Amino acid sequence: MRLLKVSKMQTVMDKGGNGGPPMPLKKMRKELVPRKERATIGQFEVENPRMSCRNVDVYYNHGEKKAINNINLDIGRNEVIAMIGPSGCGKSTFLRCLNRMNDTIDGCRVTGTITIDNKNIYGKDVDVVPLRAQVGMVFQKPNPFPKSIYDNIAYGPKIHGLVQNRDETDGLVEQSLRRAGLWKEVKDRLDQPGTGLSGGQQQRLCIARTIAVNPEVILMDEPCSALDPIATAIIEDLIDELKQDYAIAIVTHSMQQASRVSQRTAYFHLGDLIEVGPTDQIFLNPLHQLTEDYITGRFG
Amino acid sequence: MNKSENMASSAQGRQLRTMDIVNRGLARRYRAERRFKRFGLSAILLSLAFLAVLFISIFANGYTAFQQTFIQLEVFLDPLKIDKEDLGSANYQGLVRESLAKTFPAVKNRADKRKLYGMVSSGASFDLRKFVQKNRHEIGNTIRIWVPADDDVDMLIKGHILRDVPESERRMDDTQIAWVDHFQHQLRIKQEFNMTFFTGGDSREPELAGIWGAVCGSLYTLLVTLCLSFPIGVATAIYLEEFAPTNRWTDVVEVNINNLAAVPSIVFGLLGLAVFLNFFGLPRSAPLVGGLVLTLMTLPTIIIAGRASLKSVPPSIREAALGIGASKTQMVAHHVLPLAMPGMLTGTIIGMAQALGETAPLLMIGMVAFIVDIPGGFTDPATVLPVQIFLWADSPERAFLEKTSAAIMVLLLFLVIMNGLAVVLRKKFERRW
Amino acid sequence: MKKVLIAVFALTLGVVFGLGTGIGFASSSRDYISIVGSSTVYPFATVVAEKFGKITAFKTPKIESTGSGGGHKLFGSGVGVQYPDITNSSRRIKKSELEKAMANGVKEIVEVKIGYDGIVIANSKKGPSFQLTRKDLFLALAKNVPTGDEAGKLTPNPYKTWKEVNALLPDVKIEVLGPPPTSGTRDAFVELAMEGGADEIDWIKALAKTDKKAYQALCQTIREDGAYIEAGENDNLIVQKLSANPAALGIFGFSYLDQNTDKIQGSLVDGVSPTFEAIADGSYPVSRPLYFYVKKVHVQTIPGMKEFLAEFTSEKAWGEEGYLTDKGLIPMPEAERKLFKENVATLKPLSLGDL
Repeated sequence: MRLLKVSKMQTVMDKGGNGGPPMPLKKMRKELVPRKERATIGQFEVENPRMSCRNVDVYYNHGEKKAINNINLDIGRNEVIAMIGPSGCGKSTFLRCLNRMNDTIDGCRVTGTITIDNKNIYGKDVDVVPLRAQVGMVFQKPNPFPKSIYDNIAYGPKIHGLVQNRDETDGLVEQSLRRAGLWKEVKDRLDQPGTGLSGGQQQRLCIARTIAVNPEVILMDEPCSALDPIATAIIEDLIDELKQDYAIAIVTHSMQQASRVSQRTAYFHLGDLIEVGPTDQIFLNPLHQLTEDYITGRFG
Repeated sequence: MNKSENMASSAQGRQLRTMDIVNRGLARRYRAERRFKRFGLSAILLSLAFLAVLFISIFANGYTAFQQTFIQLEVFLDPLKIDKEDLGSANYQGLVRESLAKTFPAVKNRADKRKLYGMVSSGASFDLRKFVQKNRHEIGNTIRIWVPADDDVDMLIKGHILRDVPESERRMDDTQIAWVDHFQHQLRIKQEFNMTFFTGGDSREPELAGIWGAVCGSLYTLLVTLCLSFPIGVATAIYLEEFAPTNRWTDVVEVNINNLAAVPSIVFGLLGLAVFLNFFGLPRSAPLVGGLVLTLMTLPTIIIAGRASLKSVPPSIREAALGIGASKTQMVAHHVLPLAMPGMLTGTIIGMAQALGETAPLLMIGMVAFIVDIPGGFTDPATVLPVQIFLWADSPERAFLEKTSAAIMVLLLFLVIMNGLAVVLRKKFERRW
Repeated sequence: MKKVLIAVFALTLGVVFGLGTGIGFASSSRDYISIVGSSTVYPFATVVAEKFGKITAFKTPKIESTGSGGGHKLFGSGVGVQYPDITNSSRRIKKSELEKAMANGVKEIVEVKIGYDGIVIANSKKGPSFQLTRKDLFLALAKNVPTGDEAGKLTPNPYKTWKEVNALLPDVKIEVLGPPPTSGTRDAFVELAMEGGADEIDWIKALAKTDKKAYQALCQTIREDGAYIEAGENDNLIVQKLSANPAALGIFGFSYLDQNTDKIQGSLVDGVSPTFEAIADGSYPVSRPLYFYVKKVHVQTIPGMKEFLAEFTSEKAWGEEGYLTDKGLIPMPEAERKLFKENVATLKPLSLGDL
């Protein structure tokens, strides 16, 4: 149905072209999908997805308020998908559906199907504990445990039984900190509280903590919004490296960040997924009026 | 042009007016602020003054209780009157009286003799017995022993009985004072630190009365209270805050807990009487029952404090733990509880301090009682510090007045220590995030 | 943190275990005497108990001050170690209380009178000395008083000063500090002083025979317009308030006057001063007997009961020069002492007919 719409639009564009020289940019703008149209356009499916969401609705306050509306989106393997959109558009809500963090919110209900490796995570027999080990999360505000740096990293592997002895733990802690690019800075003070690090270091500590349990997907909810540009740059480099091993879904307010780190971008607006596609296309050549308005700074 | 000029000037005028208005009100605002500060300061000063008056009056009345007057007696340990095989049963009171009679041979009249024998405490004979049991080789010798003076002599030495009022208006008449002076002249009266006050149980003789029995009773009672109310309170707080669904039932439970915190403590005493004594048949006057009743009383305090400190743990920590795959129980046990513990401990200690000062609920379960023996366990009859204070305050003997104040000082000391401990614990375990 | 939690958990288990033994304890035995009852007898009973604990090998008895009524209620609840062995009373046991006790299985109760207590009306030494009659007390303190000589006519108490009550008394505002209705001292005061005073008015005395209820309401209701101030059960407090306010009179037990003769003076009642001798020989009108009651079956089961009773009824305790007199107890005449000592020795139970 949706695919049909896209192809229809393409036909429209072709017609406008009329076989002549490529349509000038100005002219193309006029052909954008109008604002009132809320169905997703663009390619939301990927081949062999890691996670796949179909017809996802989220309600808050025991169904009184619908937060997101009929979302269909795939998350591919080894890719970074960025979710952008104005405040309150539902991008964070959607992200939190992916590891069922919304379960902790009283009166929140999720419908539709979200699968990871073809298994529905909202199925009746699914345990959220292993799910969250499989789908890790990094939060907006760095939130290390008020414990030592070492314990911050070691906690996850310990509770999941990934390590058997002190040596294994030491190795995993070092490995995780190295991958998070934090090892050099903290190797001499592993026993000091994680809360004593700078904001950027804390966020990298949280990332290290997440990858210590070796997840398949990492969700990042505006991971750099509390950081300065230098710390942000370090984190962005880190994300770029991590995508070799993980699927990463990142919510961000910064369009520059989205364009720098992601391969695909999804644009959310008032609970609807408006447009999804390759990042370059979304930023250079958006198909939907709302997407265009947002990325050109007309609102948001 | 004209129009825009007008607009500019009116804007300027408006600006000026705003500033004028602000300035005009400024003095009034600062006056109000100063007035408010003065009210606050005077309120604090007033309460400090009341506190000072309270402390000063307690201290002024009570500090003398830490001293006790002793009289030195010369006692002939007559081998004829002390059976070497059975040292305990000899008539030591007779020996004490004999010694006094020897010191004042002129006293012949029966009534005067009674007065004379009343110069030393009735505890003197027990002290003598103890001495003989320890030093049996002294039997047959004349020994010098310091024994506690009677409370009236003590009061005279401490100046609570005035010498310059007419004889008929004094507790001690002129002959008695003359005897005291005689002893004093021979340097056979001294004031010493009152160990009995800290090591003895209750007594009807002020010079023999001590607070140790009550302190022990309080300790046993509070131990029971702590061991029951802390785990139950913490578990309840955790369940209500972290696990219980929000529905009408939990609302009812919450409202009831808050109400219980405001229920007069005597009601808990009645409950204890009906449930623990009459239904379960537990012994009266036992610290075990006292502890159970005080547990009921302190539970709401601990639960409310516990919930407040659980609430104050930031959600980011919970999300971090959940996000990494911790189960709810692990999240609570590993992260939330350790962070909430200082607050819970503070609430518990404050609840304990409250329980330490409580008498009303104990009245109903028989802990307001005269108990001489030091309690040795949870089911021995016992009383507690505030009850001891209450009982002494109601005793007719003048010397109990200072004992009362001294016991209040000890109780206050305990309370200060407990509240200090709460502050120290909070400081030590408090973490920032 | 874990260690602390484990320790607390272990202690909790310990307490629960203790609870179990406590329940076990309650149903087995008790090795000390349990005494409840009147706060007036309390100072005397405690002295005996302490002496008893020191000179014998038995544990010191436990004494609760519950008031006479509360004591009888606990005492009469049943037989067994969870119920007290002895109750003190500043009045004689009521017929209803005895009936109730018997219904609960306490069939045999031994009554022991231990002596007398005087109720004194006293004021600060700084104030004038009062020579009261019981009639003065009735007229000054009753809620409603008769006016004129007409029988049956009552008005709310109009008297403001003692001089208005009786021209011989000082011109001082009526201000009396006394115990609240829950106190045995108050009961005794009302019965001995107020009723005694009211009986001097002929028609009221006659009323006692015709309409007992109206008589009691008249004699026993104390005015509530501020002239009588309820000062709490703590007699020490009343003494302290008296020294602060020389114009006020106070009502309390004789032992408190005895201990504070330097600060307060007892008023003469019907011309008799509240002295030890006057109360002992019965000439002081406001005095009452003090009792304790013993469960006969407990004498066998509770260790030390016999010895304690012997100590209490010995001459060195309640005799004319016994140690109880030092604490302000007014001893009984010798014949009476002998009688009750014999009752104790034979454990002669009280019957309903005796009351």
